[in-house]
Amino acid sequence: MKSRIPVIFFAASLITAGVAFGASGAHGFFDKTLVLAVATEPKTFNVMVAQETSSTEITQFLFEGLTAFDPRTGQVIPKLAASWERSDDGLVWTFRLMSDVRWSDGAPFTAEDVRFTFEEIIFNPAIPNGARDIFTLRGKPVSVRTVSDTVVEFRLPEPFAPFLFALSQPIVPKHILEKAVREGTFQSAWGLGEDPSRIVGTGPFRIAQVLPGERVELTRNGYYWKKDHAGRPLPRLDRILFLIIPSPENQLLRFLDGETDVYAVRGVDYPLLKPLEARKGFKIYSAGPSLGSYFVAFNQQTKTPWKKKWFQSRDFRRALAFGIDRHSMIDIVFNRLAVKQCSPLSPSVPLYHDPDARCYDYDPVVTRTILADVVGLADKNEDGILDDDEGHPLEIVLMTNAEDPTRVELAQMIREDWRKLGIKVHVQPLEFNTLVTKLTVTRDWEAVLIGLTGPVDPHFGANVWLSSGNLHFWNQGTSAPFYYETRIDELFQEASTALDPERRKAFYKDWQFLAVEELPLIYTVAPEIVYAVRDRFGDLHPTALGGPFYPIDELEPRRKIS
Amino acid sequence: MSIRGFLLRRFFASLPLFFLLPLLTFWLLHLVPGNYFDQLRLNPQVSQATVEKYEELYHLKEPVAIQYFYWLKQISRFDLGFSFAYKQPVLDVLASRLGNTVLLTGVSFFWAWLTAIFFGLLAARYPRSFLNRALEGIAYAGLSIPNFFLCMLLLYGASQWGGLPLGGMRGVDYEVLSVSGKLMDLLRHLAIPSFVLGFGVFAFLFRLMRSQAAETLDKDYILYLRTWRIPESKILFKHVARNAINPLITLLGMQLPALVSGAALVEIFTGWPGLGQVMLQAVRTQDIFLVLGNMVMVSCLLIAGNLLADVLLLWVDPRIRTGREVRA
Repeated sequence: MKSRIPVIFFAASLITAGVAFGASGAHGFFDKTLVLAVATEPKTFNVMVAQETSSTEITQFLFEGLTAFDPRTGQVIPKLAASWERSDDGLVWTFRLMSDVRWSDGAPFTAEDVRFTFEEIIFNPAIPNGARDIFTLRGKPVSVRTVSDTVVEFRLPEPFAPFLFALSQPIVPKHILEKAVREGTFQSAWGLGEDPSRIVGTGPFRIAQVLPGERVELTRNGYYWKKDHAGRPLPRLDRILFLIIPSPENQLLRFLDGETDVYAVRGVDYPLLKPLEARKGFKIYSAGPSLGSYFVAFNQQTKTPWKKKWFQSRDFRRALAFGIDRHSMIDIVFNRLAVKQCSPLSPSVPLYHDPDARCYDYDPVVTRTILADVVGLADKNEDGILDDDEGHPLEIVLMTNAEDPTRVELAQMIREDWRKLGIKVHVQPLEFNTLVTKLTVTRDWEAVLIGLTGPVDPHFGANVWLSSGNLHFWNQGTSAPFYYETRIDELFQEASTALDPERRKAFYKDWQFLAVEELPLIYTVAPEIVYAVRDRFGDLHPTALGGPFYPIDELEPRRKIS
Repeated sequence: MSIRGFLLRRFFASLPLFFLLPLLTFWLLHLVPGNYFDQLRLNPQVSQATVEKYEELYHLKEPVAIQYFYWLKQISRFDLGFSFAYKQPVLDVLASRLGNTVLLTGVSFFWAWLTAIFFGLLAARYPRSFLNRALEGIAYAGLSIPNFFLCMLLLYGASQWGGLPLGGMRGVDYEVLSVSGKLMDLLRHLAIPSFVLGFGVFAFLFRLMRSQAAETLDKDYILYLRTWRIPESKILFKHVARNAINPLITLLGMQLPALVSGAALVEIFTGWPGLGQVMLQAVRTQDIFLVLGNMVMVSCLLIAGNLLADVLLLWVDPRIRTGREVRA
C-alpha cells in the first residue's frame, strides 16, 4: 500500500493545479472602489515620523492639517481651520477651527488636539521629526496656546511668510496617542501591525485592513465633516485599495488587465499604451512636468587645485551648460515625455516659477568659444582633450546613483555631449547611500548628476540654497561664500518674512535669476507626469502636485463594467 | 554511540554557523559607507540635527565592534532589535511575511519533489521511452531558463489569454468570496509563482533521481526481486525508490533555509507579499537589524534543516542506524 502514496499525492496536486487554472476571475466587484498600485509598501501610518512617500501617499487620505494646499491654484485653503487672522506685525496668528469635526472613531476634534500635536509631538525632544525643523524659526520654536475649544493661537519669534502653507501639517488625536507619547513609544506607534481602528484621523478615509506587503484597504470615514454643495456627505468613494506591486512591468500588465485603475506611464510605455486607449477603456492624461529634476553640480571645494579653479569659474559652468543637448535627452531617454528645465523651480510650481528664467540651449560653438577664450583651455597635446596652461587635461568624474537607470542614462548622454567638446567624463554610478556620504560627509567628489524633489514653496528649498544649508553641497565647508551666495541668503531671509505675496514673489524671482546666471546647479530636464486612468472616472484634470484624482473626496466613479 | 549522541554532536558542530553568519553579514553591511538615515540627508526639509538624533538613537556613530556588541547583547535577550524603516520590532516585520513566503515555497517544493521523484523513477525504468526523452527536454529547459524570464513569459501569456491572475496573493474582491472561493482564489494566485519556483527544483531533482534510480535498477537484488515475481510497480516505487532517495534527503535538509530565502526574485516579479521584497529593500537601504534578523532566522533554519536531514537519513537508511557511519 505504501507505494501508492506518492501516486495519490501526485494526482492530487495535478487536480488542484487543473482546478486552479480552470476557474476564472471575477473583477469589477466594487463599483465605488478605487484600486491603486504602489511600488513599495507603507512603512508606518504614523504621519509624524513617516519620511518615505510610500507611507505619506496613504496617510494623506487619513489626516488633515489646519490648512491645505490647493494643487490647482497653488493657494492655501481652509481645512480644519475655518478662518484665521494675524496681527499686523505677523507674529500672532489666531485660528478658528471648524465646528463639528469628529475623529474617525467619533471623538470630537478640539483645539487641544492641535496643541498636543505641536507641543507634545513636534517639539518633543525625544521624538526626532522633520516638522520641528519647519516650525523652528531662528532657533526658536513657534508657540501654541488654546484660547477655547475652537480657537488656537500661534506666536512666532519672527514673521514667517510660508506659515499658512506649513500649517498643512497633519494634526493627530490626543485621546489616542497621548499614552504612547507619555510612555516613550511614539516612534513605533501606528505601525503596520496596529489595530486599524486605533489609527484615527479627520481625513475622508480610514484604514480598514492592512495585509503587510500585499495591500492596504481604506474605507470611507463615516464621521467625515465635509459635505458637497448639495449637502450630501463626502467622500463619494467607498474604498481605496492600495495594491503593492513592486515591478513596474507587473503594474502595467495588471492595469491593462483591468485590475487597477491608474498607471503612472513611463516614457517607454507610452507608444504601447496610446493605441490601446479606446479598446481597453482608459484615457492618458498629462499632468505637466514633475517636481523632480535632474541637475549637474560641481564641487567648488574640490581638493584638486586646478579643478577647483575651473569649477569655481562661472564661465566654465556656463560653457558646460551650453554643451548639454537637452532635446536629445527628452527624445531618447524620455520618449518626448519631458520638458527642458531652466529655473531651479519646476514649471509645475504655481505662483513662484519664473517662466522668463534664462535657458542655456545646446550650442557647442558657444561652449568651445568660452572654454578657449575665457577659461583658457586648448588641446595642446592633440589627444582630443582640452588642457589648461599647465597641461592638466580636462577630465571630470561624474557620479550619479546607480539605482536610477534614468540618471545613469542621462549621465552617459552628458559624457557623449561633452566628449565632443574635448572634455573627458568618467561616469561613476554609485549606490545611493555611498553617493550621499561622498556628497555631504566626506565631500570627496568632482561632479554629480542627481535630482532633488523641488519644494512647492521655495522657502523649503532653503536647506539647499542657503550658504549654511546642509544640502548646499557644491560649496560646503567654506567660511567665505561667494557674493551671489550671500545675496541668495539675504533673498531667502527677506522672502521668508515678507508677508505681502507680491513682494515675496519678487524676491524669489531674483533668486531664480541669480541661480540661473551663476549656475551652481546646471538644470537639464524635468520629466512629465503622465497617468493612464480608467474611463469610469469621467473627465479628470490631473496636476503634478495633486495627482490624477484631486480632490479625492469628490471623486465619483461610474459603475464598473466588466 | 547512541543516536542521540550522534544528533547532539551534529547540533553542536553546526552552532558556530549560527554566530558566524550574522557576524559576516554585520561586517559586510558595515563595509558599505553610510547608513539608513543618509536618505534623510538629501531631504531638504530635514535638518542635520534630526539626522544625528536618529543616528545617536541607534548607536550608528559608534565603531563597528561596539555596535556588534550592542547587537549581541540584544540577541542574548532574544530581541532582534528594531527595523529603522518600519519602526517596529524586527520579529514582527519578519513574522508578518514569513507565512506567505513559506506557503509559496512550500507549495513549490511540494509539487517539485513529488513529480521529480515520480517521474525520475519512471524515466529510469523506461529509458528508451518517449516519456524519458520528453522529460529530459523539460528538465533541460528548467535548468537553463532563468526564473525571472520564465516568470515574465508566463505573466505575459496570462495577460494575453487570461485565466490566471497576474500577481499578488489575493484578488481584489477577496473579501466577499466564500471560504471555498477564497481557497480557489489563493490557489489561482499561487499557480504562476509556484510553478516558476518549482520548475528549476524539479529539473534538478528529476535528473538526480533518475540517475540514482537507474543505478539501483542495475543492482542484483532487483533482479532477485523480479525472479520472485514481485509486481514491477512495487519494485519501482518501494524498493528502488527507497534505495535511490538518500542523496535527495540530504538535499531536503539543505533546502529548508531556501524555504524562506529562495523566492525573492519571483516574489518581486509577481508581487507576492513575502520576505523577498522586504529583504531586498532592507539590504538596499541598510536597515541593518532587519537584515541581521533575517540572517539569524536563515541560520536557524540551516541548522534545523541539517538536523532534519540527519534524522530522516536515520529513518530511511538502516545502515546509518546500525552501521559504521555512526561511529566514523
